[in-house]
Amino acid sequence: MAFEIGIMTFGEITEDPVTGTRPSPRQRAREVIELAEVADQAGLDVFGVGEHHRGDFVGSAPTILLAAAAEKTERIRLTSSVTVLSSEDPVRVWEQFATIDLLSRGRAEIIAGRGSYTESFPLFGYALNDYAELFREKLDLLLAIRKQNPLTWRGRLRPELVAADISPRADGDTIPIWVGVGGSPSSAISTGRLGLPMALAQLLGPLTLHEETVRLYRASAVRAGHDPDTLPISINAHGYVGRTSQEARDVMYPYFAKGMKDNNHQRGQGMLLPRRVFEAEASAGAGLLVGSPQEVIDKLLAYHEVFGISRAIIQMGFGGMPQKEHLAAIERLGIEVAPVVRREIASRERKTA
Amino acid sequence: MTTATADATVGAPAAGPGAGAALRVVVVNGSPSEQSETMGLVDAVFGTLEGILPFERSQVDVYRLGPGFTGAVERDDVTPDVEAALRMAEQADLLIAATPVFRGSYPGMFKHFFDLIDQYALANKLVLLVATGGSDHHALALEHALRPLFGFFQAMTVPVAIFASGGDFDGTLLLNPRVYGRIEMSLRDVADLLRMRATGVNRSP
Repeated sequence: MAFEIGIMTFGEITEDPVTGTRPSPRQRAREVIELAEVADQAGLDVFGVGEHHRGDFVGSAPTILLAAAAEKTERIRLTSSVTVLSSEDPVRVWEQFATIDLLSRGRAEIIAGRGSYTESFPLFGYALNDYAELFREKLDLLLAIRKQNPLTWRGRLRPELVAADISPRADGDTIPIWVGVGGSPSSAISTGRLGLPMALAQLLGPLTLHEETVRLYRASAVRAGHDPDTLPISINAHGYVGRTSQEARDVMYPYFAKGMKDNNHQRGQGMLLPRRVFEAEASAGAGLLVGSPQEVIDKLLAYHEVFGISRAIIQMGFGGMPQKEHLAAIERLGIEVAPVVRREIASRERKTA
Repeated sequence: MTTATADATVGAPAAGPGAGAALRVVVVNGSPSEQSETMGLVDAVFGTLEGILPFERSQVDVYRLGPGFTGAVERDDVTPDVEAALRMAEQADLLIAATPVFRGSYPGMFKHFFDLIDQYALANKLVLLVATGGSDHHALALEHALRPLFGFFQAMTVPVAIFASGGDFDGTLLLNPRVYGRIEMSLRDVADLLRMRATGVNRSP
């Protein structure tokens, strides 16, 4: 499998902890499209937009942002990261992504997930009590829609579909559907059983954090009769590619610490991520993809070695990174990091083939 | 031997009442290893403590106290260096009881140290419980084994105890952000108490 490298964003609308200014939603919406454009020009493979239903993110409707990005890009694949499928209508999800697929000439992808935020459940009238079953059933329907048209399908949580004509169809043969997995064993096992590609989210912690998750996923795939070597695994992690090791950390830290304080609560309160903890998370054995181009290359190769991943999607703007610094990092990732990683992994795979 | 590392005071400058005083922190280390995850976790605790108040750090490595310790049945049997280590623990402002979980509990050597501690020496003493284990299955050893030990001594254990498992480290460097968060919470809960109890003399210029 050719190794793919991409970026993702949540479209943060947060106060800049350095300058004290806050981008307007209009500005951030335009900037999201610009990120896609620059990522495409820099030769990156994937552009992702996360779904969040809150005032501090502009990404409540990622499909619309992806459609706009489709018009400004040529080659880059366009994915949700993630679609909170549990509170979505899979018919609508398919229609929207199939439309993006047509607009982009076959570049649409879906990462279906449970989401790490739960705001969308009350918004769309879903009960959190049904969390697990909602996801299972909606994923089943989404896969059925992808497989055949017209479709007759019956589930428990929505009225049945009888010979339903769901269109448009994909531009090419199909639209890739990945499953976003945060690390729970059951989620890895069910994804493996379905033989679906797995997008692993890694916030912080050791680089090897998901070793067991990947092992369970592959074992489950084998039991269900899938060839694990054909199943792509992606790591979706935070990071920042700087000019130098020190510059990368200095630029990323204040924003990442702010993002963590705003989003990662203990006893209902945001906790400051101290710089020394950030430094530990940036060290060679930890998962954060921050550093000089060479450091990020080394870490991506380490991820590949540990998990056999075939894709990495890096979130570089968490906490409201200013556009200028974000774009500079995207260019470094596309021009200085990605070609080396692709080449190195291709040669590794030739050796083992 | 005790590593009575009464190093220069570190930590946030003292201000207000008690200025000039430093918290005397004594670690009783139950790990047999020179380089251990247990001490990596304790280092993370000190990293957080630095942001709260000045302190002096000392440490007793129970596995390195030697025959003067292991051969002692009663307090009167110990050699002078072991007596000094016991006194240091008894006189701490904050005692950090840090140990790996062995065979479902703290190691015998760690218990032996506390068997020699005076019965009333730890009464009302602030004690922070810190443990490491091979996996998260051992986490409640803190609550089911370590806390009752200090309950016997009528010590004042810090409400949030700290646990980390092998997978949380790269070598001895703690990487799990949740554990860092717990350390932060644990010490913030008792920050006022720590300031009130700081008694050591600040020897930094």
